[in-house]
Amino acid sequence: MNAIEVEGLSRTFNSRRAVDDISFTVEAGEIFGFLGHNGAGKTTSIRMLTGQLRPTSGHARVAGCDVITEQRRLKPLIGVVSEHQNLYERMSARENLTFAARLYGTNTNRIDEALDQVGLLDRADDNVQQYSNGMKQRLLIARSLLHHPQIIFLDEPTRGLDPIVGRDIRRLVQDLSREGITVFLTTHYMEEADQLCNRIAFISAGKIVALDTPDNLKMAHGQKSLQVRLKDGQRLMIPLDDQDSGEKIKQLVTSGQIRTLHSAEATLEEVFIQITGRKLTE
Amino acid sequence: MNSRVVAAFAQKDIVDAIRNRYLLGALLTPVFVAVLLRILLPGISSLNFTVVVHDPGNSRLVSELRATPQMKLITAASAADVAKEVETSKAVGGLAIPADFDADIAAGKQPELVVYVNNKQNDIEQAMFRQLMERQFLALVQERLPAHLTWIDVNKEARAESPAFNLNQMLLPLLLLLTFAMAGALVVPLLLVEEKEKRTLDFLLTSPASLTEIIAGKALTGVVYSFLIAGILLAVNYKLIGNWPLTLLTVLVGGLFVVAIGLFMGALFENTMQVNTWASGVLFVLLAPSFPSLRLPVMLERALHLIPTHYFVEALRLSLAGTPSARFWGYISVVLASTVVAFAAAIWALRRQQN
Repeated sequence: MNAIEVEGLSRTFNSRRAVDDISFTVEAGEIFGFLGHNGAGKTTSIRMLTGQLRPTSGHARVAGCDVITEQRRLKPLIGVVSEHQNLYERMSARENLTFAARLYGTNTNRIDEALDQVGLLDRADDNVQQYSNGMKQRLLIARSLLHHPQIIFLDEPTRGLDPIVGRDIRRLVQDLSREGITVFLTTHYMEEADQLCNRIAFISAGKIVALDTPDNLKMAHGQKSLQVRLKDGQRLMIPLDDQDSGEKIKQLVTSGQIRTLHSAEATLEEVFIQITGRKLTE
Repeated sequence: MNSRVVAAFAQKDIVDAIRNRYLLGALLTPVFVAVLLRILLPGISSLNFTVVVHDPGNSRLVSELRATPQMKLITAASAADVAKEVETSKAVGGLAIPADFDADIAAGKQPELVVYVNNKQNDIEQAMFRQLMERQFLALVQERLPAHLTWIDVNKEARAESPAFNLNQMLLPLLLLLTFAMAGALVVPLLLVEEKEKRTLDFLLTSPASLTEIIAGKALTGVVYSFLIAGILLAVNYKLIGNWPLTLLTVLVGGLFVVAIGLFMGALFENTMQVNTWASGVLFVLLAPSFPSLRLPVMLERALHLIPTHYFVEALRLSLAGTPSARFWGYISVVLASTVVAFAAAIWALRRQQN
């Protein structure tokens, strides 16, 4: 069953096409990565899929609801973590979640559970102003999960966070997926996308230029070879497509010359550069 | 519209406005101004003049003064005692009237009337006393009959049907409008703009709350604060209110209008700096019709009639005086229609931004 179905979705601002005829589906329970440069159309796409922005053309169904005509039904079924830390900073974490619970008509008993889920229960009554970036990010996730959404949209959830907090957030995302929640993730971090996502779409200049599993993308665009470093310091590349490659590797192993042996498949970053002609962080 | 959602917004914003020192300052400004006026203008705000008189001939002047509301007269035993009594009784002034004062006036003579002014009282109270004496004396000379003072308004149509007001009745509309302007046209747009600036509006737009509910929640916050402070001002000045139901109706409609203007500003502007830059101009325009006796050129006077708060002030003055008329309902209708237009404009502006 598809959690998200997008068909020919476009959005134009004045005469500029921010999103240009994109089509894709996301399966229920999948972690779907949406990668692109700044201004590639990621946030505009999320805004259209979450009912914040009306598409210029095309259709999209999220959690079975049309994003244009069924917004009332759609919004309780999705959770959104914006790229901005859009919390009420003069309020405590508990007050932020109480307000959100009232908007969603959620039982306030759920608040402690959500705070506990992200490890903020002991700081629940502190003003958000006093929170670190990582804590704010976790609170955003708690807020987006408060009403038990089917699909969660995470826009750059680990940007600007230290590696340990980033790792915690990634674990949380994996937990959500295990619980059956569909995750739509945008990120600048290729390793993060590689580690988390079941499938990845590359978006460039408003168009989806590649969509597949991370492995397939790397296989399709990378070199099928082994990188061998010998004890004498010499480096060898052994193409795996050659008929005699098996024999070469066997020889090196039996002669005891090998210091290290790695597959030389492309990284997602290299695939991205190959497809779009630019680095993701440019 | 879901009342639970609207109430959630209002509750959040009401608490948030108190935690934000800038907004709290804006909300309390009308109260500060009211207290300041009471401290600086005690004579005017109370209009209780204490005047010492020595009047052996029982003159008409003193009879007139005795009939003036809020005028307290203390009798001095002799002309020489007047100055001393003014000082000890802390009166604003005193009069030493010759025994044959009325007869001399009737004969066309110019009798000497000694007026003492207590310089220890505040300047404005002294000025008011001087003005009152000059007017009373002039009236006495020019109008021998009837026995009581008859006030004639020149260019009465300029004041519409409003009766003559004392200064408190002139200041109350200004204070109420200042309250509405601060709560409605400053706090409300700042609350709305802050949602844009801090990007919390994005969260709200992904929640089940509709744009109408968001606007209604902000409006409710403005309305609660407007009416809370206006209620305090009305309660403190309850003696001035001639017709309570009409006064409350006027305050309700006026408050809603200014809140609607605030919502429109909030929808139009993108950040706090823009609101702060424009708010002073908007507040001045909204408040201008409530300034007492501006004596502006005709063109500007006419321009004031283009501002809906002009009709609010006129309706309020009529309701305070307790003299309702068809004109009152006309004024209220203008303010009500302006409110509907401003609300519609606010919703239109926000929808336009969203898309």
